[in-house]
Amino acid sequence: MFKVIKKILQYPRLTQDYPRKAPDARLFIGKPIIDQNLCILCGECVRRCPSTAIVMNQALGKVGFNYDTCIFCTLCAEVCPNAAITMSNAFELAEKDRTRLRASTLVIEDRNVPDQSYEIISDLLREKAQKVFGRSLSIREVDAGSCNGCDYEINALNNPFNDIERLGIHFVASPRHADMLLVTGTATRNMELALVKTYNATPDPKLVVAVGACACSGGIFKDSYATRDGIDCVLPVDVYIPGCPPRPQAIIYGILKALDRI
Amino acid sequence: MTIIKLKSNLLDIFPDDIHRSTLINDNEFYIQVDSRSIVKICTYLNGELGYALLTIFANDERTLTGKYAIYYGFADRKKSQLIIIKTEIAPTAMSFQSISAKVHAASSYEREIKDLFGLIPLGHPDAKRLVLHGNWPNGIYPLRKDYDLHHKPHFSKKETKFKKITGEGVFEIPVGPVHAGIIEPGHFRFSLAGEPILNLEAQLYYVHKGIEKMAESMSIEKCFYLSERISGDETFTNSLAYCQAIEKIAGVEVPPRAEYMRVLFAELERLTSHLGDLAGICLDVAYGFAAFQFRMMRGWTYLIADDLCGMRFLRSVNKPGGLRMEFLESKEKSLIDQLMKIKKELEDTVVIIKQNTMFIDRVENTGILKSAIAFDLNAVGPGGRASGISHDVRKNFPYAAYDKLTFDTPNYVDGDVNSRMRVKLDECFISISLMLQVIETMPKGPIKESLPKLLSHQVAFGMTEAPRGENIHWIMTGENETIFRYKIRTPSFCNWPALCYAVSGNIVPDFPLINKSFNLSYAGNDL
Repeated sequence: MFKVIKKILQYPRLTQDYPRKAPDARLFIGKPIIDQNLCILCGECVRRCPSTAIVMNQALGKVGFNYDTCIFCTLCAEVCPNAAITMSNAFELAEKDRTRLRASTLVIEDRNVPDQSYEIISDLLREKAQKVFGRSLSIREVDAGSCNGCDYEINALNNPFNDIERLGIHFVASPRHADMLLVTGTATRNMELALVKTYNATPDPKLVVAVGACACSGGIFKDSYATRDGIDCVLPVDVYIPGCPPRPQAIIYGILKALDRI
Repeated sequence: MTIIKLKSNLLDIFPDDIHRSTLINDNEFYIQVDSRSIVKICTYLNGELGYALLTIFANDERTLTGKYAIYYGFADRKKSQLIIIKTEIAPTAMSFQSISAKVHAASSYEREIKDLFGLIPLGHPDAKRLVLHGNWPNGIYPLRKDYDLHHKPHFSKKETKFKKITGEGVFEIPVGPVHAGIIEPGHFRFSLAGEPILNLEAQLYYVHKGIEKMAESMSIEKCFYLSERISGDETFTNSLAYCQAIEKIAGVEVPPRAEYMRVLFAELERLTSHLGDLAGICLDVAYGFAAFQFRMMRGWTYLIADDLCGMRFLRSVNKPGGLRMEFLESKEKSLIDQLMKIKKELEDTVVIIKQNTMFIDRVENTGILKSAIAFDLNAVGPGGRASGISHDVRKNFPYAAYDKLTFDTPNYVDGDVNSRMRVKLDECFISISLMLQVIETMPKGPIKESLPKLLSHQVAFGMTEAPRGENIHWIMTGENETIFRYKIRTPSFCNWPALCYAVSGNIVPDFPLINKSFNLSYAGNDL
């Protein structure tokens, strides 16, 4: 017992003060950015991007990124012959509108939620939701076909470094207790029904946050026989958090964005 | 037994069944046999010679030979040799002899082949669907070459049939696929009489994304990024297995500095993974103090990863031919300090948790995996090493710079949660010691080698010891530097059936604890 108390006293506080204080992001690998002046439109990055996240607009003479699809692999920065692409350390990338993450126009397949009324109710109650939730929030995490990278990062929200409960946010065991669904993965075919059932079991008003490139757009797994191209093919999504996987601070940023606290 | 001796031995016993044999990549011995004699040859290798069955996979080679091929990978672990039995199936037959009744580890592989290729295992004791759930219509075989990757078939409505245990007072508890904790999806069907579990059937493949199909016709460069995303917390080891196979095919020697750095990153990943498992074990018995100690240490390992490469999951670190860039220069001092800090903390914590009798009481004699079952199912990694199977790819099939470093393989025989926990604790210390050795002895020099153009239809195995155990990748290259077939067998695939055995006789509240002590990856199993 004495040893336990000694240990507890040894490390009084490890928790980082994000979002009040910005973390030291010098070493983070964030989103790739392109200097249009240096770009010679050779198309090398477009051809070699593993998740086809880079698009070239010939008419405008511009190369752009779809950050919802980007897997942050740094290959484009490596292969660019003119060093026009660099990896920045921006990690706070969450957006409410997916088109703001994209350089090319967005086409979403027809959504397949069996009971459409839930979605409409959800939209109507959105404004009220903010008042109801106040500053506290219960989250249910659903893995709908990720590689488990995002899930480990969500797990890390509970570790002593991030300790998300200090923000009044905690994870609950059942969707029936939840205000928000934190969904990772592409929405695989085998998981689709379970995902819709979980959504329907969550009481209104509710928020859905897509975590990671797979949940935002399908990422590297899009267009396979067994997956959908992101969660918003199945459910209405409130906030998209790009990243592969997004680091815990980026997820906190996205959750707070969904609550309009940032 | 050497390859030459094995060859003459097999030719003596099965003179009419062996068509031809070739040795490639130094230790991969391919033997092509007649499809009718597959059972007796596999039984001989597994039963008589004691070679473990590593993997079985099919390959649609109709464009090459007009036939399907099935490969049975066996390993002579003492001699570091792989013996691969290949047999061809004509498209008119569409079936093969099942070996599951003789070689128990074969069962899931054969069901997988049946689902993805439509080749029927004749005589399989329980050949129901594995990968494709009830929502898939009949006649869909995704891994056949004529199946379009983008084709999404309609949803059919069939119920999955679970094994029924009958008797007075027997009832079922369905759990999942969405669980109470932050874990991956899987459905567990417990059959119980009172508290003890009579039978557990796990329905997995909820996160089946079709990775093996996606890899086909992908360029070798792009497929590398896919291999990193097989299982998030095993990113580095999976990419290393992929790189190994590609480097073998290309005939490239990786520079020594890169070999050492790969050990460093692989061990960092193992340390991170094991600390997370230990935290999970403590959390599942509500031992909050220890859980947060381990979580704190895991946080520190992530800080090391961030310091070294800016990626918490060690993504985009590896590259076929070496490493992407020099990650370690001028960071050695701070790395040693951070590792010593973790080591000190780990030592202190181990002393505290081993003195806690209530905690030890929960983990001791819980979830026992018997040695005989572990051998039959080819249990690998910490799960196997806790049950007396002292197999470790780092020792048996040395890769990277492991043959130049000194380390032990922990071995326990009880097979309970406590043994698995002790294996993981020991391995944490071994990982730290290996990393320190690497920093000390690492040579200077270049860190990557460029690859030549790869020939088509070359094959190679990549084998690594993932944090969860033996990890095997097999690659066949296609035309124009693409992949023709990419077979991935992660350790989780072997250990899931072992887990189902380990829980029987235990009470339901101990299931999360037993599950965590194995800590299997759903994504790595489902692909």
